[in-house]
Amino acid sequence: MTDPSDIAVEVADLSKNYGPVQALKSVSFSIESGRYYALLGPSGGGKTTLLRLIGGFLRPSAGRVYLHGQDVSHLPPDRRPTSMVFQNYALFPHMNVERNVSYGLKLLKAPAGEIRDKVERMLAMVGLEGYNRRMPHELSGGQQQRVQLARSLVLERDVLLLDEPLASLDAKLRKDMCLELKRIQEKVGITFIHVTHNQEEALTVADRIAIIADGELVEEGSARDIYETPEKRFTAEFIGDNNVLPGVVANLSDGRVTVDLGFASVDVASHGVAAATGDDVAVSVRSELLRIVDGEPDAAWQIMPATYVEAIYLGLTVSHLVRLPDGTEIVARVISGEANDGAFEAGKEIAVGWPGDRARLHVA
Amino acid sequence: MYDDFANPWNIRLKWVYLLGVVFALLMPVFYTIYISFNQHGFGARIYEFTFDWYRVVLGDTLLVVSLKWTLYLALAAIVATIPMALLSAKFYKRTRRKVAFVALMLSPLFVPADIMGSSLLVFFKNLANGFVWLDEVLGVYWFDGWFDLGFLTALIGQVIYVHPYAFIVILITMSRYRVQQTEAARACGATAWQAFWQVEFPQIRVGVFSSCAFVTILSFNEAVRTALLKGGFDTFSNMLVAQMLNIGMSGESYAMAGIMSIVSMLVIGSVIVFTLLRAERLERRARAMAQPLMAS
Amino acid sequence: MFYVPVVFFVLFFAAPMALTVVWSVFERTQFWMEPGFTLFAYDNFFTSARAENYLFSMVHGAAAVAISFAIGFPIAVFIRRRVTRVAQHRVILLFILPFMISELVRVFAMRPVLGRHGIINSLLIDLGIISEPITAILFSPLGVIIGDVMSFLPFMIFAGFLALEAVQNYIFEVCDDLGTGRVRLFTHIILPLAAPGIFAGAVFIFVNSLGVALVPTLLGGPGAVNAGLIANQAIVALDFPLAMAISTIMVVTLVALLYIGHRLFDLTRILEPIS
Repeated sequence: MTDPSDIAVEVADLSKNYGPVQALKSVSFSIESGRYYALLGPSGGGKTTLLRLIGGFLRPSAGRVYLHGQDVSHLPPDRRPTSMVFQNYALFPHMNVERNVSYGLKLLKAPAGEIRDKVERMLAMVGLEGYNRRMPHELSGGQQQRVQLARSLVLERDVLLLDEPLASLDAKLRKDMCLELKRIQEKVGITFIHVTHNQEEALTVADRIAIIADGELVEEGSARDIYETPEKRFTAEFIGDNNVLPGVVANLSDGRVTVDLGFASVDVASHGVAAATGDDVAVSVRSELLRIVDGEPDAAWQIMPATYVEAIYLGLTVSHLVRLPDGTEIVARVISGEANDGAFEAGKEIAVGWPGDRARLHVA
Repeated sequence: MYDDFANPWNIRLKWVYLLGVVFALLMPVFYTIYISFNQHGFGARIYEFTFDWYRVVLGDTLLVVSLKWTLYLALAAIVATIPMALLSAKFYKRTRRKVAFVALMLSPLFVPADIMGSSLLVFFKNLANGFVWLDEVLGVYWFDGWFDLGFLTALIGQVIYVHPYAFIVILITMSRYRVQQTEAARACGATAWQAFWQVEFPQIRVGVFSSCAFVTILSFNEAVRTALLKGGFDTFSNMLVAQMLNIGMSGESYAMAGIMSIVSMLVIGSVIVFTLLRAERLERRARAMAQPLMAS
Repeated sequence: MFYVPVVFFVLFFAAPMALTVVWSVFERTQFWMEPGFTLFAYDNFFTSARAENYLFSMVHGAAAVAISFAIGFPIAVFIRRRVTRVAQHRVILLFILPFMISELVRVFAMRPVLGRHGIINSLLIDLGIISEPITAILFSPLGVIIGDVMSFLPFMIFAGFLALEAVQNYIFEVCDDLGTGRVRLFTHIILPLAAPGIFAGAVFIFVNSLGVALVPTLLGGPGAVNAGLIANQAIVALDFPLAMAISTIMVVTLVALLYIGHRLFDLTRILEPIS
């Protein structure tokens, strides 16, 4: 446990109902100060609701929000130590860049000279020096988001909330902005909470990621853990390009579990997952770890029989589509140009597998 | 939407039809104004231009007093209606029972003047009687004269009548406004009122001004509800109705009709000019936005 | 605070409208009325010429609706389909101007136009098309219908346009692409999509033809009345229960029409552009 004073944001049993619809179902977690934290999940899963509850744009149906240990659940947004960057249309269209960025400082009645200095410094940080007199409609989408960022950061609040800040930008620009957001966060050192449905975006920017779906916190962890060792089946299905295979526990022994998939048996490490014989479970293997085996397999590999379907060229990688005996199609991905990126003829009987402990076991 | 294959003459013909209908709708009014400047009034063989009829109207103390009452009523209607229309539009945005609310707000449009006027008249009379009764029961004189017919009752009738128009105009302007901006302002530390006044209001100002213009015109034009609900005063249109029914079509009534239509046209004309200028500006803005600005 | 408009409208609009039903069954006194229950006012309405007049004004109203639709709706379609987006609202503004000039003045102005010595008769006689002035167009049922159309036509154009504005352009493009004929495009696409707007416009014109007393007063013949005028006359005669009974009948007619319309066309669709 960290010192509670280092906890920037804590939510406890937070719920939000819209009439009969439960948008958020009793979520609890905490975020350490200075983290870049991503709330990742499918659309309509409740992540934006959660962010807006933290920012004070919604009143919780139940539960509490603490910012630096202080209960702010009953406070409106302007009285919370947070500021927010919105997806789009949030710049004041009747004010130029400078007036947009200085808006919050003027509300605080800061001295004019100080306001000017801070605005200049902030515009420099987001790479918009000399844009002071531009109107929002004269800016590109990316520039508008930079202005929003400057407008929020200039207030020097403890927590910055970002609600899908890059969702309306095109793919290339989004990538650049991700890196820049990360750079800026490291520079200012405050807590960023970034909502996105784009896993690549989340993996790029965040130190830690929380997966939110169906109004619940599914899983929380460092970006690497979430990607490489997902605990929950949902996470495995959502993050990365995982092949998830349902099965039944056939045997347990010493931290290893044998799962009967119906057409093959595979042996996976339990990683502390509690399962009993006869339980319905799932095994996930990321597509880049799955290999096509043509010929005699290695004894240390987990092997399943399969039929080759087709190869799909995706530039950097080639996806090989294969069909398992029960009819499900799964994907094995290799880097283009690597040894076995060549395709087989459709319908050829082959085997797929993975070496050692690459698969994960999920009970839920 | 353009259709490159359409026969241009076909479209021109339709424009002629459209403008013809506009002309037909306006022609009687302009003809009335034309007559009002004739020394010899309607139906005369000769036309002699004169301001005499207008002089007669503006020289008539009763008519000038009624103009003053009309002005008071219009001003009071603006003061009462515009804030309420803003509140209604805000309420519409946040309520979940939108259909019921809009039905309540817009149904006065569908109740004809004489019907609404009669109902309100009986309502106010009963209300006033009720308050007198309450005074008697309580043995006091607190409510004496409440809702007796007068300026207030006429104003209430007027507000009910003009509010739907103001509400729609403001709602349409507001529908182009993005709520994120209010939230962004709140996130910057603005109170709800500051966010409204500094961020939202500047963007819906046009709608607010237009509805002020509408309320002015509608109040100025209204003749029926005020006739039923007013107390001891007459508005200009009340006087015009009386003129038309009692004296018939005199040169004076043409001049009065002329004054009414000229005022309406001036107000609506300035709104249109203002709106067009704004549309030009928005168009320039849109064009500027359409220029491909590469992100840096 | 935000409930002020609701309270105001419930108190000064919904309540008076609802209470008309109650007051319509009160007993008439010499100058006012007193609580009681009697259907005398309704009896008075239905067994006198008033019911017949009411029916006549409904016929006139229906005629005004039909004529307004025939003249106005094509204009709404034309503006929506053949005018550029930016210009559309300007063209609509053209129709706001007449709508915003006092109805009183516009109705009144029909007299020097339609009258025996009015501009239309003078013109036709000068052109030698007729030798005697046409008298059927003023102080007659026809005059009332013309007055109603002239008064309320713009509303059909607004409502029709508003409904069509919500229709996406691609729908027209798809129809062009599929080779939908003009007639089919109109009956299968435009009419159903604009139906709520047309209906709202039609109801507005209909109830106002029934309820605005000015038109028959100024343009109708000696016996011309409609619901509004009957109510007005009842008020003048201090027969308040009768006035309330007429209001009730009027409001019931209106609510019935709106209900039918809502069941048929889902009037909430009109609200889409503003929600």
